[in-house]
Amino acid sequence: MTLSVGLWITRGELQIHADFDADEGTTVALLGPNGAGKSTVVDCLAGLTDPDDGWISLNHETWIDVPTGRFTPPEERSVGVVFQTGLLFPHLSANENVAFPLRARGVPTPRARERAGALLGRLGFPADRADARPGELSGGEAQRVALGRALIHEPRLLLLDEPTTSLDVRARSELRPLIRSILAGFAGVRVLVTHDPVEAMTLADLIVVLEHGRVTQRGTPDEFRNAPRTSYVADLVGVNLFAGRLEPSGDGAGRVVTPGGDVIVAWPGTLPGVALDDVLAVLRPADVSLHVAEPEGSARNVLHGTIAEIAIEGERARVRLHSAPPIVAEVTRGSVDRLGLREGGAVWASFKAVEVRLIVP
Amino acid sequence: MNASQARRSTPLPIGVLAAIGIAFIGAPIAALLIRAPWSDVLDQLSSSGAWTALRLSIIVSLAAAGLSFVLGAPVAWVLARGAIPGRAFVRALVILPLVLPPVVGGVGLLAALGRSGVVGRWLDAAGIQLTFTIWGAIVATTFVAIPLVILATESGLRSLDPRFERAAAAMGASRWYVLRRVTIPLLRPQLAAGLVLAWARALGEFGATITFAGNLAGRTQTLPLAVYQARQTDPGAAIIVSLILVVLSLLVLVTMRDRIFAR
Amino acid sequence: MRFRRLLVTAICAALALAACTSNGPSGSDSSPRAIELTVFAASSLTAAFTQIGSDFEAANPGTTVTFNFGSSGDLAASIESEGTADVFASASGTYMDDVSNKVGVSGRADFAQNRLVVITPPENPAGVTSLEGLAKPGVQVVLAAEGVPVGDYARESLKSAGIEKAVIANVVSNEEDDASVVAKVTSGEADAAIVYVSDVTSAVAPQVRAVQIPDAVNVLATYPIAVVSSTTHPETAQSFVDYVTAPDGQATLADFGFLPPPAA
Repeated sequence: MTLSVGLWITRGELQIHADFDADEGTTVALLGPNGAGKSTVVDCLAGLTDPDDGWISLNHETWIDVPTGRFTPPEERSVGVVFQTGLLFPHLSANENVAFPLRARGVPTPRARERAGALLGRLGFPADRADARPGELSGGEAQRVALGRALIHEPRLLLLDEPTTSLDVRARSELRPLIRSILAGFAGVRVLVTHDPVEAMTLADLIVVLEHGRVTQRGTPDEFRNAPRTSYVADLVGVNLFAGRLEPSGDGAGRVVTPGGDVIVAWPGTLPGVALDDVLAVLRPADVSLHVAEPEGSARNVLHGTIAEIAIEGERARVRLHSAPPIVAEVTRGSVDRLGLREGGAVWASFKAVEVRLIVP
Repeated sequence: MNASQARRSTPLPIGVLAAIGIAFIGAPIAALLIRAPWSDVLDQLSSSGAWTALRLSIIVSLAAAGLSFVLGAPVAWVLARGAIPGRAFVRALVILPLVLPPVVGGVGLLAALGRSGVVGRWLDAAGIQLTFTIWGAIVATTFVAIPLVILATESGLRSLDPRFERAAAAMGASRWYVLRRVTIPLLRPQLAAGLVLAWARALGEFGATITFAGNLAGRTQTLPLAVYQARQTDPGAAIIVSLILVVLSLLVLVTMRDRIFAR
Repeated sequence: MRFRRLLVTAICAALALAACTSNGPSGSDSSPRAIELTVFAASSLTAAFTQIGSDFEAANPGTTVTFNFGSSGDLAASIESEGTADVFASASGTYMDDVSNKVGVSGRADFAQNRLVVITPPENPAGVTSLEGLAKPGVQVVLAAEGVPVGDYARESLKSAGIEKAVIANVVSNEEDDASVVAKVTSGEADAAIVYVSDVTSAVAPQVRAVQIPDAVNVLATYPIAVVSSTTHPETAQSFVDYVTAPDGQATLADFGFLPPPAA
């Protein structure tokens, strides 16, 4: 079963164009900064809004095809949605909310309520709260109800629009494993909207990055890690990304000229010795060394700058530098202490030309 | 007096005017209570046909509220969501019965639905007569009450988050199911408010009723008409019957106040 | 801040005082000119008295006559509670007696009589050709309500014709005054009604068909007029009453369909 999506939507000033395909049994993560248009794409998939142009089809069953005018009304599509803002029906209890898709399809009320209750139980929803109204539920409880309502009628497409974003830290950490197991166990296509790269990288089979309404990169998490295409993605996966013009500098080396500074790289053997535009260079932060005095050695890239930010993550520290070009280094926490690194302080950074990986167009 | 005290206490001019306003509304009601001939209340009630008028008033006002809902809610739907041309004109039109003097409404109803009226002549040919019947009273009171249902319902529909209805559709609900199980329940406060206001208006309706339906005890003489007639023969009885109206209205308005004023 | 409060309170008090003070001339006729006379008259007198009013004003420059037309019972009740009338002209002696007892009148005189007539719409849908025709089952009859003089008179007449019960069963509406009864017939809603002969004015006549009621069962309504004792213009009020009973007033009343008063 394949989900095939191609959408052109205008939302105010934003022009969105998103397209991707996904097989059944896979999870697509729709990733991007706020305002990129992710929720709008999901609304289209759910049938809440209609695109200006494009198509959506699930396993060759056309849900919408604007050029030919084909349109399947939302109630005939098989989709379950968890909305970012919940959208639980305020006039129905938790159980009634979950039972709604069944009752709308004609399942008799007692049976629907029974199935809803059972599903809520499997989702970890406390049974004694089944008659509470959405306004009385905690964030975590409400999202479990939303999940139940999305799953109960066994849809073929499951849409999760930032399901944990509006939760507090504790609820989020409780809900993550639940969502992971639901995604893993769901037989159809899953589309997860998130702005959390960790979620995307760990849960998705296919990541589609949406920035300012455009798809800037799509691929597997590994492809992302190895070859990020935009600085947003690079930031996400935690690497340094330089984009610019590659110029040969003789002696088997070249330099990538970027607006923020130059990076010396090893000239790829396969390339002719002429300058090349639109080249990307990727450097892992762990490959950057920090020094308190100007280093001497074989590293061809030596930068001087002030420390903009030190972020400690467990035993590691990510140190971001104001340098030319700006760079992120990853060192041990011990090194930070040992070198006496502090924000605002001056520091030297170095990395070898061969450690920079080039991605040529 | 410190700053917070000054903010909490009512400024004198407002207090004076508010007191006058409350007294303005309360004085006639209080005067009715004071002047009522309590000593022979029961005699007055039976001689003035008050009980019959009360029964008739309840039937007519409830029927008018119901008819207002059946005809008015769809109008509100079309105004809030329909794509009809000339919506502004239709909206002004449906507000008209609120603005017109009720007698004018009655005269118009006669011209339209009277025995020789534009539409009425066809009804007459079919043997249906509205004037001088309880149906006429219901039609006249519906005419003046329906704008209240339309206004309340339209405002409710406009303030309803449309995503709920589309989400319900995405969950497999047909349009009819969405209307029944999502739209109407979410609109319940506004619908209730519109119904109560329409009922209250229908209960007090006089001009259109007496002009279109006439005045006959047991058939068209609702409480307001009974009061008007009692004034001729026995002002004391008029006060008693007036008080019945006041009590009835207060009863319903007080029990329904949460629905009208709260969400 | 305090000054503003004081000012507003002062304004409110001044308004209240102004409202309490009665406006209008107090005491008796201080000036023979610029007098406003208030006449309460039965609604059947509307056309006739409006004419009489302008004639009186023309004959008495500086006097304005203001009318309050309504059903005699309403007017009597109003005089008894408010007492703002100078002259009262009633369609029945009963209500004049009421006012006489409760407030007091002077210069009382009967100034006109009226008879009843049956009217139907021009096409006479129920085929009513006599008073007895009102008793036919299915005829939609409109009368004035009990307590309204023309309503009481109508019932009296039906009683003396022996058909009161049958006709009452046919009554579909009890109106509050004769003008409303006439309206029900001219609009074509009622099949038949009983009103005063004087109600069939030149304007009304083309829109109705009149059916005579035989004298034997007809009612002669006697209209009294009097000066209300609480008047502030006793002389002008009396001179109005005199005008009505004098030949000029009588001629106007006759023009409008009224019969002369019973011989004294």
